[in-house]
Amino acid sequence: MGDPVSWLLGLSAVLLFSVVIGHVLIALLLIIPTWRICQRAGFSGALALFHLVPLIGSFIVMGVLAFSDWPNGEAGPQRPVTGR
Amino acid sequence: MGAEIAALMGFFGITGAFALIGTVLAGWMAWRIVEKAGLPGWAGLGSILLSLTAVGAIVPLILLWIFAYMRWPRDEPASASPGYAPSPPRGSPPPTGPVALAPPPAALPDGRGWKLTGVLGNGGTVSLAVYGGPATYALTGALAAAPTDLSVPDPSVGQPHARLMTAGQRLGLEDLGSPGGTFIDGARLLPEHGPRDISAARTIRLGSVELALTRA
Repeated sequence: MGDPVSWLLGLSAVLLFSVVIGHVLIALLLIIPTWRICQRAGFSGALALFHLVPLIGSFIVMGVLAFSDWPNGEAGPQRPVTGR
Repeated sequence: MGAEIAALMGFFGITGAFALIGTVLAGWMAWRIVEKAGLPGWAGLGSILLSLTAVGAIVPLILLWIFAYMRWPRDEPASASPGYAPSPPRGSPPPTGPVALAPPPAALPDGRGWKLTGVLGNGGTVSLAVYGGPATYALTGALAAAPTDLSVPDPSVGQPHARLMTAGQRLGLEDLGSPGGTFIDGARLLPEHGPRDISAARTIRLGSVELALTRA
């Protein structure tokens, strides 16, 4: 049996690695569709990489998409169709 | 003990407040994003609120993928989406000089059909009209028994001989294996070729009857 401190360090390293890999995998599930949304809106798809930032990354991407003008144009406000 | 409980409650209170603010903010932003794509804003808000329910984050994630790859109303032609209008940049001053003309309306759909005209072996003429709507017609040497039968009364034409299909602005032709053969601009069409687009063809030949293809 090795030193308990080494054990703990090894265990925490494995845990940290697992958390990082898990975070990247989950972020990938968000990055791929968001990349396409950004491109369709006219932004660089790389904007979706903000999803890699923990906690606030998704808010940054959503904020850019929600509060800036889309270079590729936006739909107008929803208006009822009035017959003439 | 009381201090610890108060601290714990305060921690959860702060966490809860952040979660609430985050949810409201995310819902608001999702509303704006889907509206910019031409969809109703409540759909975006609803997808965020779904993450608070028992379905967890899976359904909003699926909806995100659907939203990314679906057809957005913003991308529809102007005639199909009456609310569409390229929005001017927010915060820009109102135009003071000459105002740009509105974009031209989308081209009207071409509702014309096709006409097949030709001369039969006995010297008679044949003129067939094919309308633009989605339909399948049978080219046959027999008399027309159904509204979708197009009769080419000639012994060299099979009964039925070939199939005509219309879809939008396209016209297709499929040979049904008649001995007389089917030709598109002189090239033989075999049954194993399946339906071929003849929208741009000039003539088709059924047996020995050559039919000129024109737009009606």
